[in-house]
Amino acid sequence: NVLGLLGNIQLLDFCTSLGQSYPGKPKIIRCRSLEKETFSCWWKPGSDGGLPTNYTLFYSKDSEENFYECPDYRTSGPNSCYFDKNHTNPWTTYNITVMATNEIGSNSSDPQYVDVTSIVQPDAPVNLSLETKTSAGIMYLWAKWSPPPLADVTSNSHVYHYELQLKPEKKEEWETISVGVQTQCKVTMLQAGVKYVVQVRCMLDRGEWSEWSSERRIQIPNGESPPEKPTIIKCRSPEKETFTCWWKPGSDGGHPTNYTLLYSKEGEQQVYECPDYRTAGPNSCYFDKKHTSFWTIYNITVRATNKMGSNVSDPHYVDVTYIVQPDPPVNVTLELKKPINTKPYLVLSWSPPPLADVRSGWLTLEYELRLKPEEGEEWETVFVGQQTQYKMFSLNPGKKYIVQIHCKPDHHGSWSEWSSEKYIQIPTDFRVKDMVVWIIVGVLSSLICLIMSWTMVLKGYRMIAFILPPVPGPKIKGIDTHLLETGKSEELLSALGCHGFPPTSDCEELLIEYLEVEDSEDQQLMPSHDNGHPSKNAKMIPKEKDSDSGRGSCDSPSVLSEKCRESRALPSTLQTQDVRDVQENKEGKRSWETECIASEQKILLFNNESTKETTWPATQLPDNHPPMFAYHSIVDAHKITMTTTNVNIASFLVGNEEHKSQYSITETVHDDMEKQREMENLHSKTDQTTMQVIKTRPNDKSPFLNPKLMDYVEVHKVRQDKETAVLLKHKENSGKREKYTVPGTSKEYTKVSTVVDHNILVLMPDSRIHHTSVIQEPAMEMSQNLQQGQAEKNMSYCLTVPSECKRETSGSEYMDPSSFMPFK
Amino acid sequence: SRTKTQSTEQCLLLVVLLVSNMLLTKEGVTSLPICPNGSVNCQVSLGELFDRAVKLSHYIHFLSSEIFNEFDERYAQGRGFITKAVNGCHTSSLTTPEDKEQAQQIHHEDLLNLILGVLRSWNDPLIHLASEVQRIKEAPDTILWKAVEIEEQNKRLLEGMEKIVGRVHPGEIGNDAYSQWEGLPSLQLADEDSRLFAFYNLLHCLRRDSHKIDNYLKLLKCRLIHDSNC
Repeated sequence: NVLGLLGNIQLLDFCTSLGQSYPGKPKIIRCRSLEKETFSCWWKPGSDGGLPTNYTLFYSKDSEENFYECPDYRTSGPNSCYFDKNHTNPWTTYNITVMATNEIGSNSSDPQYVDVTSIVQPDAPVNLSLETKTSAGIMYLWAKWSPPPLADVTSNSHVYHYELQLKPEKKEEWETISVGVQTQCKVTMLQAGVKYVVQVRCMLDRGEWSEWSSERRIQIPNGESPPEKPTIIKCRSPEKETFTCWWKPGSDGGHPTNYTLLYSKEGEQQVYECPDYRTAGPNSCYFDKKHTSFWTIYNITVRATNKMGSNVSDPHYVDVTYIVQPDPPVNVTLELKKPINTKPYLVLSWSPPPLADVRSGWLTLEYELRLKPEEGEEWETVFVGQQTQYKMFSLNPGKKYIVQIHCKPDHHGSWSEWSSEKYIQIPTDFRVKDMVVWIIVGVLSSLICLIMSWTMVLKGYRMIAFILPPVPGPKIKGIDTHLLETGKSEELLSALGCHGFPPTSDCEELLIEYLEVEDSEDQQLMPSHDNGHPSKNAKMIPKEKDSDSGRGSCDSPSVLSEKCRESRALPSTLQTQDVRDVQENKEGKRSWETECIASEQKILLFNNESTKETTWPATQLPDNHPPMFAYHSIVDAHKITMTTTNVNIASFLVGNEEHKSQYSITETVHDDMEKQREMENLHSKTDQTTMQVIKTRPNDKSPFLNPKLMDYVEVHKVRQDKETAVLLKHKENSGKREKYTVPGTSKEYTKVSTVVDHNILVLMPDSRIHHTSVIQEPAMEMSQNLQQGQAEKNMSYCLTVPSECKRETSGSEYMDPSSFMPFK
Repeated sequence: SRTKTQSTEQCLLLVVLLVSNMLLTKEGVTSLPICPNGSVNCQVSLGELFDRAVKLSHYIHFLSSEIFNEFDERYAQGRGFITKAVNGCHTSSLTTPEDKEQAQQIHHEDLLNLILGVLRSWNDPLIHLASEVQRIKEAPDTILWKAVEIEEQNKRLLEGMEKIVGRVHPGEIGNDAYSQWEGLPSLQLADEDSRLFAFYNLLHCLRRDSHKIDNYLKLLKCRLIHDSNC
């Protein structure tokens, strides 16, 4: 197919007349692998035919017929192709062709056959270093280097063989030494005093030798040469009476070397030797008082001598007057003076360095001090002259200062080192004027606080609702456990088996859609979703017997959100997030919802056992049981299991809701159908949950398992009545489904609040069975029945026509926790 | 009667003047304790004289250091003048203490005379320096000004030192031991390099001797005024 691209002869003829032609034949120059794992090929372009030309490298493998194009044109530079590890097979012979293409036509190179193993040539070794060493009187050269660096090979598993070549600098012939696999080499039999050039190269297995590394040169010391000349570093007089000079030795030429300091004084011809090599340490000369003259120039040299000869340093001219560098001052004391009626000030005092004789007047010292706050960056420097005391005013109170002092002779010489750091804490002074200022500041700030708190009180409820929205409790005060107990499990099972499973949960929809309700602007009217607001719940919940906690979890959006929150909080990977934040970002919210449900399920599965133990027995409490149990009032330690319970029941109800939606009295809100679709996606998860719940049931003998109970729940709640009850009644399953698929209208939804005002919540899926309800408070019967009808319409509305729901309405009317609170 | 009243007024005025004069005189006596009781002419104390002399010598040395550094920076870089400068200064014939012990051992009168000798030895060269330095090519004002200033201040210091010496041991002023300077021709050499070296050497010596004088004076002040407890 490559050749097929060649040549349109007519076009070619036309173009050659314009001086343009198809490109010349490219030539593959070389292919090379650095380390057998990758390789590169380079080509030389032919003529471009006067037009922009593209080069394409094709290759085929000996094992197959296919042609491939170069995987990487860039890594190895222009006109090259780099085959990385994935494209390099040491057992394959590659047939490589480069094709040049321009507008007129194309031209292919001769094919090149490449066997990766045979084209291996590593890069040259690097970091070649040389040094001479003497061992047992024999001088030898010690060469070290590093293997060639590889770009994409991290493990340096390649074993290179090295070769070293060297020659005297002025000769042409190289002497080659085979080193082996080591990266160092010792070369003996060198000519002393000759400069050698050294190179090294390497080879990988039976590949080619690399290029020679860059040259390194080394002077082999001549055994007959004297040591290098030393250098006088500095001379210093610490007290203007004596002085010391130090020098740095040069190389010793491999022999023990002696150093001699010689000096002559101005106007004298005689040369003296250093009077004291020891006092000031190695490589120094100490001139005591007798050997120290002032106003005289010393000409100092250092001579290094070994058995091969000697070398003299450059002369160093010293007038001791000008090399005085005293020691730092001592006895630095900081004292804080606190005179009455003035600011405190700092008195610094110090002593001249002990060596310096300032009393005689021979040496006059001047001082400079510096200070800064402990945490400060810049020093404040004060030149204080000859005095040994200084008063510092205007220091910042309450700060810790660091102080240092150094000194210098009055005319020449240099500053001493700084004295050791001294610290002083400047006390905070509260004086009357300051106090007045502070009092004013205090009064002002308390005024501001008062105004702020007043504002808080005025808008307190809004603020509290904003920060800690209340969680509405369950709306059912009790449950008729007797009725639950008499329920037939067969009915339940048949209901589950025949009608519900896997359920496509509308309850789940309700739950999630509810969260969107929170988006409402009227947040102050909305229930709290925050666990941090338990007090309201605690007040309300004990009044209610939560036999219908599952329903609550389904019906009550707040419960759901709480549940979700908790379940979110449990897996540490899920962040608890303020509901408001979620509301502000719908996208975020949706993902949050998904997470929530997913995590609920996890917890459900995880906590099945504990769920049975802790929660379900609680729900079995009889009607007249003291209203101590509600899932909101459970102590914190049980929250997790409570959550799980809610999930269980919710899921269970979800299953039933498919055909018995009477359980939901809540409004639900659908923003749009898209969300509903989203919810439907969640149903599969819900199925799982439901199944899980079912498994646990037969053992539990939970009231929820009773098929009678599953039919509906009737709730009576009278605000004034502390003994409220939830009555559950079972009824026939038949004929309900159709009933609840009847769409409602959004207007009906608003009537929920009316129910609340009447202090009665009735959950009735079917108006036909109103008469079967056990009404504890006959006076309420009418409203209850009415409510049942409404609720059922509501429910069906929500199930079928979600898009018409108004979030605002639901939020304001249903969710207001105050309407549920008997003590409000 | 008119003349009578006039004379009375004159008398009164006279009395007032006398009284005020007395009071003033008395006040003056109490406020000038440096004048010894009964002495004919009031004098500045020796300590005050030393203070002034030290200040002056300090100033002179400061100026001569500055002028040397400026010259060195401007004209002597890379010329290796320092190696040639070891030949000494014209005042090297005056044997001066070379370290602290020598300076402490020498009698203060001898030291004072030495200071006088050095100061006098510099009278002449400083005058020539101040004039010849103006002929240096592109000599900056700072160098010119300092040369004049040093010459003037040196004269003042010499006066002050003569006063101090006269105070310390009266009657022995007139020791004319000083070193003659014969370096004027070298400052006028045609060869610029040699001429610049002559200036370099002179300024180098000036710096050294002014430091010597300053150092000796500070030493003497501590010894004579503060009893070697500065």
